Amino acid sequence: MWQKIGAYISKNRRFIPLAATALLALVAYGVGAIFYPGMRDLQVFLNIFRNNTYLLIISIGMTFVILSGGIDLSVSGVMALVTISAAALIRDGWNPWLVILLMVLMGMGIGAVMGCFVAYMKVQPFIATLAGMWFARGMCFFISDDVIAIDHPVYTLLGRTKILIPGLTELAQARGEAAPFITIPVVVSILLLLVAIYIAHFTRFGRTVYAIGGNEQSARLMGLPVNTTKVLIYTFSGFCSGLGGIALSIFVLSGHGLYAKGFEMDAIASVVMGGTMLTGGSGYVFGTIFGVLILGITQTLIQFNGSLSSWWTKIVIGLLTLMFIGVQSVLVAQKKGRRKEGQAAAQNKRRWAYAGAALVLGVIAMIVIPKIGASQGLSLTPEANRCQLQPYRQEQAAGLIAGGAIIAYERNGGPNCVDELYAIYPDGRIVGDNGLTTTEKQVTVAEVEILLGGINEYGWFTDDLYDTWHTPCWQCYGYYLTVSYDGQEKTVKGVDGGTDAPADYWQVISLVKGIVPQFTTVP
Amino acid sequence: MKQMKSKITWRKITESKLFFPLLTLSLILLFDLIFIPGFFKVQTRDGNLYGSLIDIMRNASTVMLLAIGMTLVIATGGVDLSVGAVMAISASVAAIMMNPVIIGLELPPDLMKFMNDPNFTYSPLWEVILVTLIVATICGLWNGLLVAYVKIQPMVATLILMIAGRGIAQLITNGVRIQIFYKPYAFIGQGWIVLPFSLYIVAFVFLVAWILTRKTAIGLFIESVGTNFRSSFFSGIDEKKIKLLAYAFCGFCAGIAGLVASSNIKTSDANNIGDALELDAILAVVIGGTLMSGGRFSLLSSLVGALVIQAITTSMYALGVPAFALQAIKGVVVILVILLYSEQARSLLRKLSTQKEA
Repeated sequence: MWQKIGAYISKNRRFIPLAATALLALVAYGVGAIFYPGMRDLQVFLNIFRNNTYLLIISIGMTFVILSGGIDLSVSGVMALVTISAAALIRDGWNPWLVILLMVLMGMGIGAVMGCFVAYMKVQPFIATLAGMWFARGMCFFISDDVIAIDHPVYTLLGRTKILIPGLTELAQARGEAAPFITIPVVVSILLLLVAIYIAHFTRFGRTVYAIGGNEQSARLMGLPVNTTKVLIYTFSGFCSGLGGIALSIFVLSGHGLYAKGFEMDAIASVVMGGTMLTGGSGYVFGTIFGVLILGITQTLIQFNGSLSSWWTKIVIGLLTLMFIGVQSVLVAQKKGRRKEGQAAAQNKRRWAYAGAALVLGVIAMIVIPKIGASQGLSLTPEANRCQLQPYRQEQAAGLIAGGAIIAYERNGGPNCVDELYAIYPDGRIVGDNGLTTTEKQVTVAEVEILLGGINEYGWFTDDLYDTWHTPCWQCYGYYLTVSYDGQEKTVKGVDGGTDAPADYWQVISLVKGIVPQFTTVP
Repeated sequence: MKQMKSKITWRKITESKLFFPLLTLSLILLFDLIFIPGFFKVQTRDGNLYGSLIDIMRNASTVMLLAIGMTLVIATGGVDLSVGAVMAISASVAAIMMNPVIIGLELPPDLMKFMNDPNFTYSPLWEVILVTLIVATICGLWNGLLVAYVKIQPMVATLILMIAGRGIAQLITNGVRIQIFYKPYAFIGQGWIVLPFSLYIVAFVFLVAWILTRKTAIGLFIESVGTNFRSSFFSGIDEKKIKLLAYAFCGFCAGIAGLVASSNIKTSDANNIGDALELDAILAVVIGGTLMSGGRFSLLSSLVGALVIQAITTSMYALGVPAFALQAIKGVVVILVILLYSEQARSLLRKLSTQKEA
């Protein structure tokens, strides 16, 4: 049986990098699901797509560029330029649909100009697109050096429309969860991926791209339209950057010149992890989605863990890239080996590289797994430290508000399994109750006013802040916050450790956290 | 006969690697001379020189240091994207050695109170510099190992350290921006002995690199590896060791640049030190006329290339162009410079020169 598998593998060797990526994505998610029950939530899985739509879109364009043997550093700059231009135009009353069209055209224009430089002026892709990046990022600040918020029903519609997935809805209902959903940009990115796969593998253009990446000289000699194709490749990458910028602006509902910093490297890493060779001419567009997934899952794991700092993402991604490149270089060595060197030498090289890849994986495991375990892992979290969220004390909170409080804030769960309910009154009195004891603190009226102003500033009473819930990990907190201000009253619930709650919700929570007193006794 | 001679000299001048970068630099300086009054004024204070020209050189010193190492790497046909991250790593190592209290290292209590003293350091300065440079060289060796021995494409091999390096730098300092109080260390980036002290460092590194490449056969080997590694292999040059040396030296230069940069801002800012400087360094080398595909190189023109970049920046600031707009202008200038270098422009120049003589 092993022989059969071996024969099958050696027959389909070119799929190895793709299979390795897909397998790794699966394993990474599996490990996460074992350690953090919250990650088993279907919505959390779909959120990986939702949070990385723009990365997927730009990575698709980048795949084509890399397949042709080039590189496009300008994507992040173009994305930033698109977000801020779109925000500025919409602020000035332009029709959002027109703006989206214009932005995509602008991305294509910038891409086409860079493509011309690369194809006709023989400028190194690295330099030409670097200039493009600087140009685009610099232009952002001619428009505005501040964040411009986008407040338009069309954008909200695009960002907030929930698309339920038939089949998953029933599955979630059976598990007693809310129906998981994706958003319109996710659908667009998946459609783009399908179109890109078609273009790459079933059209003349796609074959020319592979031919250029394989050997530009022979592509030219074969009479293929190398220059035109190159211009088109960079135009397509520009198109993807434009679309990615729109997706980003829909996601954050604002535009700024510093957005998307370093995204070009994330995109390149995703493409490489997706099994595309940076030398060009070999790889699959389909693999890119797994590269993006690995990046997204790594981020989600680190978020769920809570104790790992964000820089671990960088280290893990760096190591993973190293591993994939190792596997790729083996494949190249094997290809050459079969032609030139003896079978034994090729086998020897293969062994070395597999050992190297295993070593890298081992190092990652050694670094990450103890960290995961130490904080809140399944096997290592003592039984006593596991905390189930208590039901929110909704009636009690409503009672506090009715009793004159302007803010009712409940924090539930966490490593010490607390259930604290605070009430903040307009006169600056703060009363906390954790079921065992109460605590009190007096702040000035002005401080309360600042707090309320801040909460309002973050858009508390707008649709930007909404309830979210996912199965909490055993050390996560659940929050329940009611604010009554200017005759308006609104309650928003959320659980930390996930990626679903709006970012502004955590800003508000941290504002409130900063003002309430600490309990000295822990239940 | 006379005509022939003048033709040769004209060609010699235009085809010298120094010609284009110097032309660009002088064009920028000419622009400054006309539009910015007082740009060339140099003042003396306490025997030290100050002025816009000195500023250009001082601010260019990190990019110049990086460009020296990058020139050798690019000459072998490679590229090193990780120099910015290596700068961050070396800054973190240096800071942690001088001020380890931040990450909760237990110090004897009698030493604790000296921690913020400008004359106190946990490790002596020579040790700090030595260890930092060793760490940076190891980073370079790692890149070289991947490129030369594992045969990974240079851009990818160094991309790994570029992505992971900043994470490692933050790991070293545990994510804290460490303040550096030690005064002698600050001298590296902020000191003046008539000219800024960092310029002497640049001169020293340049001299070392120049002697290494022009007074020994190494320079020739590097050019031969970059031109055609296969034929240099057959002529008995150990191509792998040459590449390893180039990347290690590039790491070493990045380490020094990291020391200069961190002493300049007196912190180890793992997120911002050397941010996007790898692009500046590569650009400096390209402006200096070394081809990205490898081959013949000129260290001096790379230094001029770095000065060109900084001269653009400084003149734009002097003109009152806001900082944010600078990047767009830089992008346009890059395109102009590259167009100036393109085959079309060169052939045009050649045509012009032949017309002149005809």
